[in-house]
Amino acid sequence: MIDYNKSPNLVTRRNFLKMAGLAAAGVAAGQMGLFKVSPAVAADGVDHLPGPLSDAVVPSLCEMCVWRCGLLAKVTDGRIVKLDGNPASSHSLGKLCARGQSGFMTTYDPDRVLFPLIRVGERGGGRFRRATWEEALDVTAEKMLAIKDQYGPEAMVFSSTHNLSQVQFENLLNGFGSPNYGTQRSLCFNAMVTAFLLTYGVEEPARNYANADYILLTGRNLMEAISTSETFHLTEAISRGAKLVVLDPRFTKTAAKAHEWIPIRPGTDLAFHLALIHVIVTEQLGDCDFVKQYTVGCEELPQAIAEYTPAWAAAITGVPAETIDRIAREFASHGHKSMAHPGWRTSNFINSFQTERAIATLNAIVGNILKPDEGCLIANGASEAAGLGKPPQPPYPRIGALRLDGVPWQYPLVPLKLGIFQNIRDAILTGQPYQAHGWFIARQNPILSIPDRPKTIEAFHKMDFIVDVDILMNDTAWYADVVLPEASYLERYDPLHVLDGKIWLRQPTIQPLGEAKSALWIYKQLGERLGLGDYFQYADEEDYIRQQLAPLGVSFEELKQNGYVELPGPAKERPAEPVFNTPSGKVEIYSAALANAGFPGFPTWDAPPEPAANEFYLLTGKVAQHTQMATQNNPYLAQVTDDPRLWLNASVAAEKSIHTGDTVLVTSPIGSAEVEALVTQAIRPDCLYLTPGFGHRSKGLRTAYNWGVSDSDLHVTYTDPVSGGQALSQTFVTVEKIPA
Amino acid sequence: MSTIHLSLAERKRLKDKTLTKHHVANILTHWFNAISWGFLLATGLAILARRVYQPVPAAWSDLLRNLFGGLAPLIKWHETWGMLWAFVLIFNVSLGFRKYFLPFGARRMMLNKDDLVWLQQYGRKLVGLKYKLPDQDDYNAGQKMFSYVVVGGVIAIILSGLIMTFSHLIPLSLRWLIQWAMPVHFTAVGLVVAGLVIHIYMGAIFPEERQAFFSMFSGKVNALYAYLHHRKWYDRYLAAERNWEAEQAAGETAGPTDDLDALLEREV
Amino acid sequence: MSNVKRYGFVIDPARCIDCRACLVACRAQWQVPTGKTRIWVHTNGVQGEYPTLSQQFVPFQCQHCTDAPCITACPTGATYRREDGLVMIDEEACIGCGLCINACPYEARFLNEEKGVAEKCNGCYTRVDRGELPACVATCVGGARLFGDLNDPESEVSKAIQSKPVTRLINDVDTQPNVFYLQPVEANNPSWPHAKEPTPAETFWQKVAVPGTKLAIGAAVLGQAIAFAKQLWGGESEFEE
Repeated sequence: MIDYNKSPNLVTRRNFLKMAGLAAAGVAAGQMGLFKVSPAVAADGVDHLPGPLSDAVVPSLCEMCVWRCGLLAKVTDGRIVKLDGNPASSHSLGKLCARGQSGFMTTYDPDRVLFPLIRVGERGGGRFRRATWEEALDVTAEKMLAIKDQYGPEAMVFSSTHNLSQVQFENLLNGFGSPNYGTQRSLCFNAMVTAFLLTYGVEEPARNYANADYILLTGRNLMEAISTSETFHLTEAISRGAKLVVLDPRFTKTAAKAHEWIPIRPGTDLAFHLALIHVIVTEQLGDCDFVKQYTVGCEELPQAIAEYTPAWAAAITGVPAETIDRIAREFASHGHKSMAHPGWRTSNFINSFQTERAIATLNAIVGNILKPDEGCLIANGASEAAGLGKPPQPPYPRIGALRLDGVPWQYPLVPLKLGIFQNIRDAILTGQPYQAHGWFIARQNPILSIPDRPKTIEAFHKMDFIVDVDILMNDTAWYADVVLPEASYLERYDPLHVLDGKIWLRQPTIQPLGEAKSALWIYKQLGERLGLGDYFQYADEEDYIRQQLAPLGVSFEELKQNGYVELPGPAKERPAEPVFNTPSGKVEIYSAALANAGFPGFPTWDAPPEPAANEFYLLTGKVAQHTQMATQNNPYLAQVTDDPRLWLNASVAAEKSIHTGDTVLVTSPIGSAEVEALVTQAIRPDCLYLTPGFGHRSKGLRTAYNWGVSDSDLHVTYTDPVSGGQALSQTFVTVEKIPA
Repeated sequence: MSTIHLSLAERKRLKDKTLTKHHVANILTHWFNAISWGFLLATGLAILARRVYQPVPAAWSDLLRNLFGGLAPLIKWHETWGMLWAFVLIFNVSLGFRKYFLPFGARRMMLNKDDLVWLQQYGRKLVGLKYKLPDQDDYNAGQKMFSYVVVGGVIAIILSGLIMTFSHLIPLSLRWLIQWAMPVHFTAVGLVVAGLVIHIYMGAIFPEERQAFFSMFSGKVNALYAYLHHRKWYDRYLAAERNWEAEQAAGETAGPTDDLDALLEREV
Repeated sequence: MSNVKRYGFVIDPARCIDCRACLVACRAQWQVPTGKTRIWVHTNGVQGEYPTLSQQFVPFQCQHCTDAPCITACPTGATYRREDGLVMIDEEACIGCGLCINACPYEARFLNEEKGVAEKCNGCYTRVDRGELPACVATCVGGARLFGDLNDPESEVSKAIQSKPVTRLINDVDTQPNVFYLQPVEANNPSWPHAKEPTPAETFWQKVAVPGTKLAIGAAVLGQAIAFAKQLWGGESEFEE
């Protein structure tokens, strides 16, 4: 039995890091962990791979975040010794960020779960026993089928986060017949995607920094929320002389690179953008005649935004009217070379959807989205499927049950594939419209990601059965009944990825440690046990990929050798005229769909709640060294991570006699947390910022355990009625020094 | 220009007679030592690169580094031979030939009154003043003095050398040990080398001590040399011979050995 | 154009975003011990008062000085310069005495306790010799770190140097660093160059040990020379011994 509570190896981070150093020196990952290494695993923990995989450079795809940079893994004696970016990858440009560089240490993390585990004792007690794959899969299938028989398939909730195997995960849940699919999306980009789908007919317009001379980033912290190529292109643009204006209540590293940092009041970006639109439209600074051809609502826009003057916005945003006026003129003067970045994680306020609508409108009226070759935003990208094949499969069973997340029956405009994750959690607690009984989780950490952790844990405890597929004993695995160990991204195949005219392959660079298996294998094994074998018609991972390649006539061997192949066939020419996949075929500044659903058809001011006099906005954000809550246990990243602390403005700190390093108590409507303070000039006086992703409670994560606090202990769950997006900055807190 | 007067006939008679001065242990140890010193000094000087410490031209360093295939192998050779040298030396003295060396050290390294006079008079001799050397035992005062430098220096060299060889085992807080080991090693070698200059000159070039040079191969010296340079030892040697003769004449066996040479080695 | 390469780094603090990909890349490439690093991103922190703020990020590492004090401090030459200008440590030859660590005005070196040797940026010579860029440069997300042959006017580094006024991290000490910065670097950082005092052992070695042993050996040689002269002068008799 494995008892994580009693583990003699549960050590402090500092000691642990020493061990990790040893791991880097070649000590077996398996031996360092909590498990006895089975005889099946080679003495050094890593079997030597035959042929080209040994002492070689193996091309593959990074998965330390979702940007999917091409990588080159240098492998010696069956061990990854270094990862480099693949210059052929348009997302990597030969570079990997800190997370990508550290990726192999996640694979060699001594805390990897290397064998199937079955819970012993009470849920969340941290006691498991090692099981065979046979047993773990049989138990999982048995429990899932029992729930299906007793309560119907909808009583099983499935949740997973953006990844290349998701297509087979979706096969599992759709084949099973559950409508309840939780993704990270509503916690992240629902506002942005919903707004841009409604306005441009595209989830997210592409950015072309080569054409950008004036860039407005609204909460898009590209220097810390890194997408390698985009971050590089932005620095290139700045270097070339493009002007960067950053709206953020916090002086982020992006703000440090900006020509102008505007510490706008949280939740009022919408007012700022509405005022920019007001100035440009009323003074006819945009290219109105040109814009009219491609937009709906351009004529009525002046009336719709008539009241949103810079003076009006100044009172709301705290940004001087002259500044707003000037920025509007500067933005307009660069025409289609101006870019108001769409943002990414836009789960800030329940008005974030309107903010995104305003940003989409602002871009449209300067025409940057309307000139595919000259503008700096591109609405019509190439299709991702690109003619790839897929194993044959029968149609999915018809699903009669309502979705627990309320889409679309309560939230008509939330795109079906986005859903509202936090609503599923709440529906589990209320039992409405019906009670869910089982939860299948893959590569996701809802315990930490959904606001209000105590509620999420309560929901977990209401489940009859929880199975988790992951590589680490993270907080969610901690509460699972069965943990299925997945192979890391450096150890497995995934379905192919198409990007910028190339087909990319994720392939094993080493053999999986322990008994870890690919998602494609796990889902197939499970599917067969659930009687869904027809949805998994592939012999193994390579066969799956061969079937994907079959229609294109591309050689799998060539793909393996280079990590990518050029998409066959003539390069798709971008249409000279912009194409918008909206009902009208135009940019919908006025959206009939919104109006029909009872929401304002034009971008409209929507006042966010404000904190009381003694309260602060609690901001979240991003550090460049971590991806959400998935990477804090990586020993290399721990070495370059600033200790997670609560930022507060120096003037506030002086009033409250708080000094850097003091422990302070942060209290929100749902809970409180004790955290170390960082006194800084780099934040608005009415805001606090808590480094996200920390505060792990699983003792199976020896680096991350008890490191910092999690904002999920403080965040109140607020959901935007239009997009279903979570409003993470809408939680107001008090802060007090804890006397030493 | 000896001050001791002997007839020519007496000199001839003495010169034809050989006495055993050095035990084979001493001879072997001496020449192993000599070769080691040659090697270690040559490589050690080549290891030093920094001009402020380097007493020989850089070409020497370059030559040896090229010869040994680089600095690291050169250091490895130096360290390995150094440890071999130290091991052989310590082994010979404390275990292998301890029956010879321990009494040797105890009895023959102490300076006595005559030695002090000898030192004073020898100094006069060297600069050409009138002198009268007192009788000396098998090692003269100069050799005894040098032995102090050698024994002290060798201990310092071995200790500092070991510190540098096993520097990777020394904790960060004791880094100063390594930093001091280097100048200590350097200084100890320097002082021993200063003595070596005299030792080598005396042993190999200076005509009066030529017998001593050859004795380091054969172990033998002629009686004339012993009589002139190591009178006390010579007298003891003769006494031991006579004693043996007397015992033989009395028909007694001389303990376990009938071998005069062995007896002399043991007793003299 | 000369065939002799002279490698150097060009760093543009304006492009550094403090993402620390370089730090991880370096750590991964060389298995840098936990708690140590061969390269840094220095910052003075956020400057100014809210809301008028600025912050500079300065990638930093061994400056590969032409007149490197670490090389002169190393007694053995375990620290040396390659022909192409990269300042190296021969780990096999280093005994970890730490004199170089003390001597470096940039504090760019540390002692690897496990191996007992000095450690620092070596310009990723193994990568460079294969035609790759150093790990930190190759992966620099902001493109702030450049590396190349300063003797080649067509190289990226030469062009960068020609394109903008450059500074080097020099004040009271000028060791001719080969890392060039494309932006004036804010001062007041403890790692900027400062003159270093030799250690007591070094001083003893130079001031006492070297003259002392020279004197001893000199005296011995002189004494023997006099004796030899006398021997030649006086001749020798066969029956002396």
